Amino acid sequence: MEYQTMLAWAAPIAVGLAAIGSGLGIGRAVGSAMEAIGRQPEAAAKIQTAMIIGAAFIEALTIYVFIVFIMLNGKIGAH
Amino acid sequence: MRNSLGLDFLNRTLKTTGLLLLIFLPFGIYYLGVYPALAVFSGGVWGIVNFIFLAALIRVAFRPEGVDRRRLLGLALVKFPMLYGAAYCLLTIPEFTPPQFLIGFSVALAVMVLKVFGRLLLGLHDENPEPKRLERAL
Repeated sequence: MEYQTMLAWAAPIAVGLAAIGSGLGIGRAVGSAMEAIGRQPEAAAKIQTAMIIGAAFIEALTIYVFIVFIMLNGKIGAH
Repeated sequence: MRNSLGLDFLNRTLKTTGLLLLIFLPFGIYYLGVYPALAVFSGGVWGIVNFIFLAALIRVAFRPEGVDRRRLLGLALVKFPMLYGAAYCLLTIPEFTPPQFLIGFSVALAVMVLKVFGRLLLGLHDENPEPKRLERAL
C-alpha cells in the first residue's frame, strides 16, 4: 500500500480513536465528580476545580490529535 | 484562602498565562518574527478563552443546585461552533503554522501543571500545610 493511502486511512482513524478516548475519559471523570459532589456537597467547589482541570487536559489531548491531523492532512495527496 | 485549590486557582492560572503571553509577544516578534509570534500569541489567547468557556460550562452543567439549561445552551453554542470555528479560521491563515498555534495553546496547560507542581513541592495541597515542610521547601 502506498504511503499516502495509508496516511489517508490512519489519520481519520486516529482522530476517531482520540475522540472516543476523550469521551470515555470525560465521562468517567464527570461521573466520579458527580458521585463525590453527591457525597460531599460542601466540597463542590474543589471537586469542580479538579474536574475542570481534568477536562481541560483531556480536551487538550483531542485538540493535539486534531491539529496533528490537520498537519498530516496537507501531506495526503501532495506529490 | 488565597492558596486553596478552589475556583480561584483557575482564575490565577489564566491571569498568569495572559501575563506570560504578553511578556512573550514583544520578545517573540523580535526573535522569531511577527507571524510566528502572533501565531503563538493567538494560540495562547484561544487556549485561555477555551478554558474560560470549558470552566463556565462545567460550573453551569454540574452543580448541586441542578442544571441551568438556558445558560448551558448559550455557552455550548458559543464554545463548540464559534470558538472551534475561530480556531479553524486561525489555522487557515497561511502564515500561521499549526505547531506554533499548538505551542501557544499549551501555555495555559503548562502554567497549570507548574502551579500544581509548585504547590506540591511547597506542601500547599493540604488544607493546613505543615510549617516544617514549608520551611524545608523554602
